[in-house]
Amino acid sequence: MEDRLEKYLAAHIPTATVSVTNLLRIPGGASRETWMFDAAWDGPNGPETEAFVLRKDPPASLLETDRETEYAFYSTFWGSKVPVPRMRWLEPDGSILGGPFFIMDRILNVESNTKAPQAPPYLAVQAELARNMYEILGAIATFDWHGTPAESVAAAPSADGAWKKELDHWQAIIDAQELSPQPIIRAAIRWLRANPPPPAQRVSVVHGDYRVGNFLFRPDGSIHGIVDWEMAHLGDPLEDLAWSLNESWQWARNGRPGGIVDRPDAIVLWEQFSGMKADLVALQWWEVFCHVKCQGIWLTGARSFQEGRTNELILPMVAYSLINAQDQSVLRQIGRL
Amino acid sequence: MRPDTSRTLQGVALNLLTNVMGETRTPFGQQTVGIAGQLLFWIAEECERGADRLVVENRATRQLLSDGLPLAGTAAKSVEAALATPPAADFRISSLQAENDALRKGLIALHAAVESVDSDEARAFNERIWAELVESTKRRQFAVRLG
Repeated sequence: MEDRLEKYLAAHIPTATVSVTNLLRIPGGASRETWMFDAAWDGPNGPETEAFVLRKDPPASLLETDRETEYAFYSTFWGSKVPVPRMRWLEPDGSILGGPFFIMDRILNVESNTKAPQAPPYLAVQAELARNMYEILGAIATFDWHGTPAESVAAAPSADGAWKKELDHWQAIIDAQELSPQPIIRAAIRWLRANPPPPAQRVSVVHGDYRVGNFLFRPDGSIHGIVDWEMAHLGDPLEDLAWSLNESWQWARNGRPGGIVDRPDAIVLWEQFSGMKADLVALQWWEVFCHVKCQGIWLTGARSFQEGRTNELILPMVAYSLINAQDQSVLRQIGRL
Repeated sequence: MRPDTSRTLQGVALNLLTNVMGETRTPFGQQTVGIAGQLLFWIAEECERGADRLVVENRATRQLLSDGLPLAGTAAKSVEAALATPPAADFRISSLQAENDALRKGLIALHAAVESVDSDEARAFNERIWAELVESTKRRQFAVRLG
């Protein structure tokens, strides 16, 4: 893969030859293969080196998403209060590296492991990390997306139609992907349709997977990159808050969202930084919805593996551990467990 | 087969996690070995209990469908179709799973129908369905949880 990458970069950087080193697949990344590498070349002022991250579409994954959409949302936030890596090249031609891909700058000296905040040196800065996490989420929720690349790839729903657009989308995914009937998730979907939430307070950018694990942080609790925008869309900003509270990301298994903050504090922080109200009835709707959405993701991965379109072991692991756990989360959310 | 399949898989998993993972060169390779080990623990458990879990659940679901048929209303055809599913002809997991899928499809139809009926009998039966759904998640839960 180094050779093909060198050829690709040489065609995109004004130089004759590029050398690629330290090419390494990054663990995680269940939806797109994520690789890091360094590139060196002779620039007009002498030797230059840069650190990059490459995100490549696999043959099948947890999600079937459009890389152009992800690229556009990253590009939208470059240079804003929402820290993101700079996008460099988007390549739809799958023949070059065995799948379409994009390349972005690599942010150095950062951590993203979900377990890191549970141990020194991050344990001592959990409160700072949480504050920064929700301050950035507030910035996403209040960002004016009009005229940005995001607007050109994402359809904006009406404030009172945001919930239905997302529910229709994820129900269709479950309809298409489930290998076996899902009575608990089907009951949740019926409840969601029978009890719609109030209209969104504003139509915002929704990151779609905002949680500990999808941002890059340093030992002082500062956050330097929000990543994994593959499910980004325009919708109700409460969705991102609800998603961040989901049991699936309570990494310390102590009821604390992300393992770093108490739930009431997370809600207060979100309200403080977004300037919006987290209506508890609406939040309950979005939390139930997020369980349905999670299940749509896990079921997609299960089918991809079952049908032999991929042999990535993370997919059956997620299916074995999370499909039933998500059902139990629904039961707890609606007071049945 | 002896040693038992489940014990053998546990042994393979332990070897992967204790002997192979540390010797693997890249972080992605280590993650893959770690996941393989964890999966094997779960598969070992499912090998032992899978057929029993499905037989028990199919019996319970069939009973619910039978008892709930009078409340099924417009979903009666779906419930009858599920009830008409013949019991699995053998104890292969795939046969039991196919029966389970047919029965649980009928259960979804029955549940939706029962929810729409405004009567004490329907509400009581709704509680019975929820009790079974809670139980179904307990049957699927793995004892071994790593990481």
